[in-house]
Amino acid sequence: MLPADEVTARAAAVGTHAREAFRRGVLDLLPVIPGVLAWGIVTGIAMVQAGLTLGQSLGMTLAAYAGSAQLAALPLMVAAAPVWVVALTAVVVNLRFVIYSLALRPQFRDRSRRARLALGYFTGDITFLKFAELIEKEPDFPHRVPYFAGSAACNWAGWQVGSIAGILGAGFIPPDSGLDLAGTLALVALVVPLCTRLPALAGVTVAGVVSVVARGWPLKLGLLAAIVCGIAAAMAADAFAARRRQAS
Amino acid sequence: MTALEVWLTIAGISLATLLTRASLLVTNAEVRIPPRVETALRYAPVCALAGIIVPDVLVSGGQIALAIGNLRLIATCIAVAIFLVTRSVIGTIAGGMGAFWLLRTFMGEGP
Repeated sequence: MLPADEVTARAAAVGTHAREAFRRGVLDLLPVIPGVLAWGIVTGIAMVQAGLTLGQSLGMTLAAYAGSAQLAALPLMVAAAPVWVVALTAVVVNLRFVIYSLALRPQFRDRSRRARLALGYFTGDITFLKFAELIEKEPDFPHRVPYFAGSAACNWAGWQVGSIAGILGAGFIPPDSGLDLAGTLALVALVVPLCTRLPALAGVTVAGVVSVVARGWPLKLGLLAAIVCGIAAAMAADAFAARRRQAS
Repeated sequence: MTALEVWLTIAGISLATLLTRASLLVTNAEVRIPPRVETALRYAPVCALAGIIVPDVLVSGGQIALAIGNLRLIATCIAVAIFLVTRSVIGTIAGGMGAFWLLRTFMGEGP
């Protein structure tokens, strides 16, 4: 057994490292925040323009916390679609998170159920991408959950600040500002460095083409089709590259 | 929609968020992932983002817009070039938006 003071010292060291990992999670996400803010603003404006009251708009951003699902839901709400159609559309748009959570499962295994629920709820695309990048680059990084929590907190804060600014400023910001492009550009800056290898490039190309071709599909199923076809293309390219490696 | 329906819809979307993001994390059931599926999972996020980005840039008013008048497309290409040279995320966002607003000012709305 370790002496008591050594146990305390080690616990303190873990605490410090966890705080540092949290901080790093925040800092790693910071460069993308302008895009997150802009996208939040655009979504905030869109909610008000769809006819939602101040309370409803705030309720939606604070409870749903799902940018792409909210933007997909709003035109349906304007068209007075049945509640289940809107909810099902939100599920389909969010299905990619089921895939993310499958990948996150082993990482969060030793956490309490409540912690896993919270970590899941606060998972965003960017948070997940940064986390996957960290694990690939530093497989031995010890404080993964605090890192994830830091980047998730940063993403959440940026999104909510942007959204609330958009809701309150809807009357002052011109609707054709083109601000939503900033959110897209932030994602572009995340995707481009991942395209250096052939399989990812093939996946991105096919997913992009399918998403455009299938853009009019009901319940936003086009996005799902794009992801499935993109993954299939990436896997095929992966197998092709492996065969070539074996042959040479 | 009535106010009640709006709140029900908001609750539905929130439930969708929670179900898709957290249900697999919360369950303690053993989920075995075959190695092939694990490889597939690696490519999911980048494909999902491509599926969100590309229609956003290429589709305008429901139509595919590949013409030079698609200012969002031009601005995005400029942003990609900026990223490849500088590797700066903030520079990419700022440069792309700057290009978009400048192009709009000098070229008009386009089709």
